[in-house]
Amino acid sequence: MIWQIAKKEIYQNLMTLRFVLMIILLPVLMVANALIYGFGDSGYREEANAYHRAMESRLSHVKNNAQESLGRLAMRGPGEIYKQPSPFKFCADGTDELIPRSIPIVGSGAARGGGVTTAYHWRELWSLEYLPSNHGSDVTTLIKIDWVFIGIFMSFFVILFTFDAIAGERTKGTLSLMMANQISRGQVLFAKYLGALLTLAVPLIIGILMNLLIIYLSGNIPFDSGDSLRILGMVGLFALHISIFIFLGLFFSSRVSNAITSLVWLLLTWVCLAFIFPSLLGLFVGTLDPIPSIEIVSSRKRAQLANIEDEFRPMELLETTKLSEAPSPDNPSATRRWATYFTRRYETRTRIADEHVDQQLRQVKLARELTQISPIVCFQHAMEGLAGTGITRYMDFVKQVRRYRQTFIDFIKTADRDDPDSLHIYPVREGLSQKPVDPNAIPRFKERISYQSVIFPMGLLILFNILFFTAAQLSFLKCDLK
Amino acid sequence: MTTLWLIIQREFTSNVLTSRFMIGFVVCLMSTAAAVFVQIEDYEKRLSAYHTALQEHQEEIRTWDLYSQINPKAHRKPNPLSIFSVGMEKSGADMVSIELATPIWEKEAQKQGSDNPFLSIFLAIDVIFVFKIVLSVLAILFAYNTISGEREDGTLKLVLSNSVPRDALVLGKYLGSMLSLFPIVVISFTVGVVIAYASPATDFDIGDLLRLLMILLVSLLYVSICYLLGMLLSVWTKVASTTLILSMFVWGILTIVHSNLATLAVVKFPMHKSQSEKEVRQQIGTIWEDFKKERTAQVLKMIGHAHPISAISYEGEISVGLNMSSPGELGFEEFYALKPIHKMDTTKFQAVLGYQEPLRIRYADKAEEILKRREAVDERNRQLGRNISRLSFTDVYGFAVGAITDTDRNSYNDFINQARNYKRQIVDYLTNKNVFSARAWFSRDQGKAEFADLPIFQHRSNSLSENLSLALGDIFILLAWNVSLFMGTYVSFLRYDLS
Repeated sequence: MIWQIAKKEIYQNLMTLRFVLMIILLPVLMVANALIYGFGDSGYREEANAYHRAMESRLSHVKNNAQESLGRLAMRGPGEIYKQPSPFKFCADGTDELIPRSIPIVGSGAARGGGVTTAYHWRELWSLEYLPSNHGSDVTTLIKIDWVFIGIFMSFFVILFTFDAIAGERTKGTLSLMMANQISRGQVLFAKYLGALLTLAVPLIIGILMNLLIIYLSGNIPFDSGDSLRILGMVGLFALHISIFIFLGLFFSSRVSNAITSLVWLLLTWVCLAFIFPSLLGLFVGTLDPIPSIEIVSSRKRAQLANIEDEFRPMELLETTKLSEAPSPDNPSATRRWATYFTRRYETRTRIADEHVDQQLRQVKLARELTQISPIVCFQHAMEGLAGTGITRYMDFVKQVRRYRQTFIDFIKTADRDDPDSLHIYPVREGLSQKPVDPNAIPRFKERISYQSVIFPMGLLILFNILFFTAAQLSFLKCDLK
Repeated sequence: MTTLWLIIQREFTSNVLTSRFMIGFVVCLMSTAAAVFVQIEDYEKRLSAYHTALQEHQEEIRTWDLYSQINPKAHRKPNPLSIFSVGMEKSGADMVSIELATPIWEKEAQKQGSDNPFLSIFLAIDVIFVFKIVLSVLAILFAYNTISGEREDGTLKLVLSNSVPRDALVLGKYLGSMLSLFPIVVISFTVGVVIAYASPATDFDIGDLLRLLMILLVSLLYVSICYLLGMLLSVWTKVASTTLILSMFVWGILTIVHSNLATLAVVKFPMHKSQSEKEVRQQIGTIWEDFKKERTAQVLKMIGHAHPISAISYEGEISVGLNMSSPGELGFEEFYALKPIHKMDTTKFQAVLGYQEPLRIRYADKAEEILKRREAVDERNRQLGRNISRLSFTDVYGFAVGAITDTDRNSYNDFINQARNYKRQIVDYLTNKNVFSARAWFSRDQGKAEFADLPIFQHRSNSLSENLSLALGDIFILLAWNVSLFMGTYVSFLRYDLS
């Protein structure tokens, strides 16, 4: 009986205008997505090439420094560290444009931040900097035609499919006829759910297949065997997402007396879930968890660095200061004083930069958690997690780069201990080994992409399904058939 | 006339008494109020950062005692109307640092007053965004069954069996529904304005209030278009549910898909190819190489040595420090630290500087031309994107409001241009004071640099009439949509088959 009702639903749906519109629009959007991401400027291929070029230049930078001496390598650091571009940006763009693609190493490049006195010429010791994202983008550029967007748009269509599922039949009088058979209300609801889900799956699967085919033919986005699992996972997320809105539609449709009232409620709920909640709650965190502004942080940093400068006065030429003598292998005490100076500066810069970015990311995390009140946002976050894009990926990247920073410093110290001629004073070039290092021995940064961030939003999607299923079930059980 | 009034009254009453009116009203009011609250807080932050930055800049000016230290700043004053239409206010740079030997580039300008740039990944919602989405849905929900619904119910036949002309019916239904929609728009907007007005940070002048009034009028035009679209579809289709599906489909395309697709298509497949940043930097690098060559040739003629520092004659031991920009940067700054100055004769050095610094500024201008050319190409692409977006009246509405509030891309570009003009003003000021060859350019021993009469940047916003003239095209498009949709509905209804 369930299957019979589901079949009837499917046949009915297939004949409707909404299905015709959807079967046109969804593949059109999917094709547009494939054309935009598979072809054109600044696609994955370009990003991947830029990433490889950056990696090569980083490796040659490290190699050149290592071949000169360990001391030089210690001062210049491991070079700018880049985030690996994701081939799945077409599935979930994750506002990647606004998220930094790399963590630069300040002090490793040109002689900015260094200094020269008659006694000694030095460069600032390398440290990590977290540059803020780009500005100058319009609001519209935030919404991209990716799979997430298509999923959100699809949820809107789901509403158009389900708003009259119960209320419409009640108006026509067919609901009581159906219930006159030996079938429980739960079974009717489930059959209607199944009918809607299967009808919606048709244009979705056609669209996805067309999309993947064009992307594959474009040859710009390579896929490996593991990627098909991720794509399957994303299709599963689509199903979970659509399912929530079917239940929501069934809930309102059984709750109110006529189909139009149900649609009004559904549309306004959808607008709130798709636009109002995600934006407002995302921006409210500024009030909930305030953090100091960038200007305050940088003035604090300037003040603390100025204190260190006042204490050591490295640029003073005419008076004797703590740093009047240049560091050299023959002058360990002067070298130690320079080491203290460099370490103090490094620690101050690192502490302030780390703390500040932690505060900012904590705020973003809170905002993300708050916005997950909307199933649409959960779907977006889960898709981003599977695609390896978005801010969570950057958060992971920051953590990994910090771990690598420590690994790199530990390597320098360990390698230095092996040289008996070295003064073992870190981080002054003259205080460390002057011998070259084997570039292959230097630990390499390898970004591990974690899919852990998918679990929570996916769990929430399942929870929303259960919640709305229960709500729809209860509402239908209580509803009047006439 | 009485018939028309009766139809209007009936339409108004039947709309106001429905649940969609109440739900729509509450959602619109609540989301407008919430959007205003969020935007006020953001505006207050930006305003306080602006005042702090101005104050710090004044203090910074007092600390300069060498002419070469000059580094004025052009700050963009936050626009209180950004509470209603954020536009480029939040995402654009709001401070341009003026360095004589560095070309001004929008991309390198700074953003102040933001505590967390990562939060920009969340969609910035403002009153206009709420109106664009919520009001358009409401208007369509009011319109979809005006004709097809009545036809289904059989009431249309009954009405037209009386001596009611079809034109009066169309007009009456339109006016009646507008009368029920307008209070939602007006009350929501007024509540938004009152909340904004109550904030101590906002200080609306008469011009701002007029602009707000204009926004309200444009919003009413927009709501009317959405309603007429629903009504037209209601005439074209026979069944109300078909009208509704079709209207919602068109709504989804126009409000959500179209503009994003247009913007993305232009970004991905630009009509005008702009140079890559790397190429631009390379070209600018070449310009600075040319500068060095020209300088060397001239300095060689002047003093017989290649570098300006060689123009200093001295006794005993001295220290000469030179701090310069590194290759790859847009500008080529050089700062000289000479110690102890009393042992040096800098007459020739000053003469060299008198030649070198204006030359450096000319080369910075040349570099700026390259950046401007690139910006112009980008702007042409953006303009194309905007023009394609204009096919959707939702975007036209957004552009019109952006122009009225002076928060759109034009106004932002205008700020960058004003900063460039300010730099020219600063150069003229320094040239008139003849400071390039002054000793105070690099040393304070014979008198410090004097900046008491330094021109201060005043961000000039466009006047209301200028903004209106910019918005006129879009307002005209909105009017044209209204007229054509009304005419379309009217003509279609005259030919409408009641059976």
